[in-house]
Amino acid sequence: MTRTSARALAVARPVIQFLTVLNACYAVVIAGLLVFSYFIEGWPQRPLGVDMVNAHPMVGQGLRAIVVVGLAGAAIVHTVLRRLLAIVDTVRAGDPFILENADRLNAIAWSVLALEVLRLVVAAIAAAVWEPGRIDAFSFAPWLAVLLFFVLAGVFAHGARMRADLEGTV
Amino acid sequence: MPILVRLDEKLHERRMTLTELATRVDITVANLSILKTGKAKAIRFSTLEAICVALDCQPGDLLEYRREQDTP
Repeated sequence: MTRTSARALAVARPVIQFLTVLNACYAVVIAGLLVFSYFIEGWPQRPLGVDMVNAHPMVGQGLRAIVVVGLAGAAIVHTVLRRLLAIVDTVRAGDPFILENADRLNAIAWSVLALEVLRLVVAAIAAAVWEPGRIDAFSFAPWLAVLLFFVLAGVFAHGARMRADLEGTV
Repeated sequence: MPILVRLDEKLHERRMTLTELATRVDITVANLSILKTGKAKAIRFSTLEAICVALDCQPGDLLEYRREQDTP
């Protein structure tokens, strides 16, 4: 293990734990705002200063839908962080090439893909009710990351099978 | 498993202990013990060769195939 990866591993656990707490706080805050929006009179024009004359008639529902998508995203991020923490723990324990990690990476790949789809859904809702015709949320990097995670999951599965083959070899 | 390891008999024949063989073939006693008790899943050609050199025998002297129904 290189010095850089050893340092990254040492930092990874507290960073992931911090991000898990941060993500939970984010979910609680936006869930609170969603509930709160039903009790505020004149929402969204009064608290957000939306000009309802020029705004889309569905802007209120659109913003609430974005928050619901955000909550779904937070739930997915939580599962990603839990799985990432489990992978980091196996690396720290010196036994990362196990089939469970391959399954975790595969699940992370699907989660990142779902997050990217949610991001496009948010962009589509925003384009429909906030800034008509403007969708600029597409980026190649997350899709490349999804591909990378699937490849890594395959590498781990292959490595785990090879290790299982070697176990018991004298 | 229908492959029987006859290491114990060969060691007895050569008046050699497992520890002595382990030193000669440069394999841990624990691994040789796994092989001796038939718990090993596979054996490397290099290990087989080293044991054959140390015990002056052929691979066939160490391994025996026995059909499942023949085993007691």
